[in-house]
This record gives sequence, structure tokens and C-alpha cells, in this order.
Amino acid sequence: MNVALPIAATAPLGEARHHLSVEHVWKSYTSGVHVVRDVSFTLAPGEFLTLLGPSGSGKTSTLMMVAGFEAPTRGAIRVDGRDVAQLPPERRNFGVVFQGYALFPHMTVLDNVAFPLRMKGLGGAARRRAAMEMLDKVGLADFAARRPRALSGGQQQRVALARALVFEPDALLLDEPLGALDRKLRESLQIEIKEIQRRVGVSILFVTHDQDEAMMMSDRIAVMQDGQIAQLGAPDEVYLHPETPFVAGFLGDTNLLRGQCVGLGEGAAIVRFAGDAIGPARLSRGGGRPGVGDAVLVSIRPERIGLLRPDEVAACVIEGVVADRVFLGRHTRLVVHALGQMLVVSVAEPPGADVVAGAAVRLGWSREDAQILHEMGTGATR
Amino acid sequence: MARRDGLGRIVLYAACLPVLLFLLLPSLVIVPMALTKGQMIQFPPIWISVHSFADYIEDPQWFRSTVLSFEVAALAVAIGCITGSAAALALHDRRFPGKGLVTGAIMAPIVVPLVVLALGGYMVFAWLHLIGGWMAIGLLHGMLVTPYVFISVQTSLVAALNPVLVRSARSLGAGRASVLRHVIWPAIRPGVLAGGLLGFAVSFDEVVIALFLQGPDAVTLPVRMFTAIQFELTPKVAASASLFLVLSVLVLLAQAAVMRRRASGRAAA
Repeated sequence: MNVALPIAATAPLGEARHHLSVEHVWKSYTSGVHVVRDVSFTLAPGEFLTLLGPSGSGKTSTLMMVAGFEAPTRGAIRVDGRDVAQLPPERRNFGVVFQGYALFPHMTVLDNVAFPLRMKGLGGAARRRAAMEMLDKVGLADFAARRPRALSGGQQQRVALARALVFEPDALLLDEPLGALDRKLRESLQIEIKEIQRRVGVSILFVTHDQDEAMMMSDRIAVMQDGQIAQLGAPDEVYLHPETPFVAGFLGDTNLLRGQCVGLGEGAAIVRFAGDAIGPARLSRGGGRPGVGDAVLVSIRPERIGLLRPDEVAACVIEGVVADRVFLGRHTRLVVHALGQMLVVSVAEPPGADVVAGAAVRLGWSREDAQILHEMGTGATR
Repeated sequence: MARRDGLGRIVLYAACLPVLLFLLLPSLVIVPMALTKGQMIQFPPIWISVHSFADYIEDPQWFRSTVLSFEVAALAVAIGCITGSAAALALHDRRFPGKGLVTGAIMAPIVVPLVVLALGGYMVFAWLHLIGGWMAIGLLHGMLVTPYVFISVQTSLVAALNPVLVRSARSLGAGRASVLRHVIWPAIRPGVLAGGLLGFAVSFDEVVIALFLQGPDAVTLPVRMFTAIQFELTPKVAASASLFLVLSVLVLLAQAAVMRRRASGRAAA
């Protein structure tokens, strides 16, 4: 399935020029429920931005408002400065790809791709030529006369992308297109989407609940929770330096440590954890600074905690007792009782045979690996 | 074990055969009766002649009634398809207070006794001076066909219209009319066809309304048969009834074909 596209190494054929901005958008119902609350972001030309969140976080509602299927209660949606929030979907200029692809089953692949051009009033010969060119770009020219159901899932996705791209949309909106597929197929289709984006040069707004998918594909990720953007940033930024407990928990496993701020420095604070261990931790950029003496919550990823040799030092060193050890192939997971709680430590190199349940170990991490979280009102930890 | 199975099967057949015969005989007996040599409809028939078929076709009154029945059914199906489909589309995916009431009103012609419909229709059309024309019968039959098309199109909409296709079409620049033509119509076409066929069968052999609204120039085939069996006892009745039999088999086959295409289309999609 993981076939390389035939002209994968060529330069981009187009260039995204349009600038999409969503400004303070709300979606509220008369029942008083706000499914989207004050969401703002911009999609720069050629950018791949992902709205990531669990179901009910408002990510799909946000996308549907951009596409025009739902009207925002408040706020503006601008393309190159022009507010399109009041236009019906057929008068906006976005290519939308839905889960399941929504190809027209009674039309051939060529007619599917030519459909948007037909709606724009392009003549028969011209639109067939343009559709054929687009099919060629996605490597499906030989399948033009087939019906969508005669195609594999991957080929259907390419048809859906071709159809959404053929009319040169201002941006491509993808609503969990890979949601229903198995893991292997997903991965190869993720690569295809990126490849087609690179080749056509279009901005993409992508919606998913899968954090791995979001990390792999995006230039920036907006993590959504309860209708709000909890954090917006590059994948490594969001993963390594989450600002809220929710973001930390949603983007993978993490250890949450309670402590007290005992000193402040440039972009960092000194934290005293339970058991009197003291170490530095990064301050969140978005959240407010804690004061000296305030209680703080610190997130440390399991793979950022190091198992220290006796002579090794780190910015923060603690001692603990191993409670469990599990070999997981790519890494070994240790559960360590330390600082009055259980810490999960993930080490790439299998530790020595003496590191078993009951053994005393020294753990350590650097300033960059410990992140002080900003607790939002609704910040439930996952 | 195998013997018991065999015995059980024989008992089963023995019990079912009389029931099947009971259901089918009244229909099957019509054809031999039409093939009688005699000038009267009778049982058992005097074998074997096709003169009753020739008489039936050559008799201008019977011929006129046959054509009229087709005209009535065509008008009824046309009305029923338009109103039934429109109603199904309008109510699809929509919630509002009183929806059950509206659905009930659309389904009413199936539930309300035909004599009531016929009498009501008679009064209204008499007031409009439309009694005695085939149009009046066709109009009222159209009302009768509407619920059949409505149900059938509703089923199609639920089964075959993927709401994402509508959104997809709109995002690709399709306005309401284009969505109707390119997305909704392909999805409901089998439903309209199936409902229309059923409606045709319903209208073609409907007697009560046709009897109430008949006039000297508006006698449908079933009404002509009904009158003939009372006063003439001609085997033309059996000959025309055979036509009904053939038509209903054709309708059944056509419906089966529509259903199979629909099923295979869905399975493949």
C-alpha cells in the first residue's frame, strides 16, 4: 500500500498565497452551551495546522464554521482580510475532505474531480482537461473512467484530494479523513497527504483526535479542550513544553508532580518537591508566573527522566525504589516510587539486571525537561 | 434422524400446499375461464378458444376503458411521485413540533376507508363540476399513490443519501438545485421508481373511487368488469382480468429488479 507517488521528487507545482484567519469565534446554542469559545488562529500560506482534541472539544465545529456548514455565533472568519463568515459553503472557496471521502458513487473518478469545475460553469472539454491534469498529479490518470467503489481506500483519498484541489481552493480543510482506517493504512495515507500538499503547495487545516497523527503531519498544532484552544504551537513545543495538565496528558504519557515554588529565574523557577528534592523547571510561556511560595504542578515526560549512574549528576536528582519493570520492545518502562508518588520512567537502553522491583535507583532530569503547568479552570488531567 | 427429517418435510409440504393453493387458485382460475369457447363466463370452462381476448380488444367500450385506466394511473403516478417525493425530502432530517401530524396526514389515504375518500371526493368534484371525467379519478388516485411513494422515497433517503455527500457537493460549489440534481436525485431514484410502480398497481385496480366518480365517458377497466359481471356475464371479464394478472406480475418483476439494483448498489458503495 505504501507506494511512492510517481513524480514524488518534483518541485511544488503551485504556491499557496491565501491567508486564513479565525478571529474570536464562538458557537453557542440557545440552551446556553458553548461548543466553541473564543477560538482564534491564523493559517499562513502553505502551512499545515492541526486542530487536535478529544471528541466534544469543538475541533470539528470550528472546521465546519470555516467551511460554512455552521454559522458562528460571534467572531470573524477572514480570507485575505475579507470576512466570509456569512457566506454559504458553496460561495466560499475551500476544498473540504470528509471522513470516508464522500465521493459521488454514481459518477466516474473523472466526473467526481470535474464536478467542482462544472459547478463553476466551466465547459465540458475544459473541465475534463483540468480534472485529468489533477488526476495525473495524484497519480491516478489511469483510473479516470472507474467508479469510486472500484478503488482502494488510498486511491479514494487521492481522488478526494484531487477533487478538493482542482478548483484551486484558498485552503484545504480535512475533517478526520483517516479516522476510520487501520493504523498501517493511516500511516501511508498521512505521508501521501503531506506529499500532495508539498507538490500542490496549499495551506491545510486538519482535524484529528490522534496525537501521533497531529505530531507527524503538522507545522503547528492547536490543542483544543472544551471549545477552547488550550495551546497552540509547533509539535515539539507543544509536546515538550505543555502549558496545561490537559495538554500534557493528551499528547502522551506524563508524570505530574506537585511542588512549591521557592525561587524565580529567567524563564524558570526553582521548585521544591515532596521529600525536599529541589530542582529547576521551565515556566510556561502563555500562563502567568507563579510567585515564590505558590504551589505549582510540574510535568515531566517519562522518556525525559534519566536513570543515573552513581557518579552521574543532573539539574534535579532524586532517589527512589523500583516498583515494576516492563520490557516493551522499543523501550523499557520502570515504575519508580519516589517523591511520595509513582513515577513512570521510560528508558531506551535496557537497564542493568540489578534494576528490578525493590532496587534503589537515582533518577534525574534537566531544567528543560520539567515544565511548570498553568492550571486552567477546567484543567482535568488525563 | 434423516428419516424423521424426511417425514417432517412431507408433513410440512402437506400442510403448506393447501394454503398455497387456497391463495393462488382464485388468481389462476381466471386464465382458463378466459379461454372458454362459450359466450358466458362459467366454471368449469368449455375448452379451448381465445375468442374472449379478441372480443375484449375489439369491443370499443372495453378498449376505451382500458386506455382510460392507463391514463388515470399515469396521472395518479405523476401526481403521487411529485407530492410523495417532495414530502419525503421536506421531512427528511428535520425535526419540528407537529412532524408526526404532518406524516400522519400524508399517510392518511392508506388508513382512511376508501368509501370515505370516495364520498368526500365525490362531493368536492361535484361542486367543481368535474364528475364524469378521468381527471377527477386520476387526481383522487394521485392522493392514494402519494403515501406509497412517500414511504419508498423516505426509505431511500435513509438508506442511500449520505448527508456528507450533500455537504461535500456544497463545499465543491453546488447550490440547492445542483445538490438536488447531482446528489439527491441519484439517491432517491430507485425509491421513486419502486413507489411509482406500486402506485401504478394500486391505481390501476382501484374500484371504490372509480365507481363513485364514474361517468358515461369515465369508466375504468375494473368498474367495467364489475358492471359486466353483474349484467352480461361475458368472458371478456376473465380476459381483462388476465391482463391484470400479467400487469401485476410485470410490476412485481420490475420492483424486484429495482430492489436488486438498489441492494447491489448499496453493497458495493
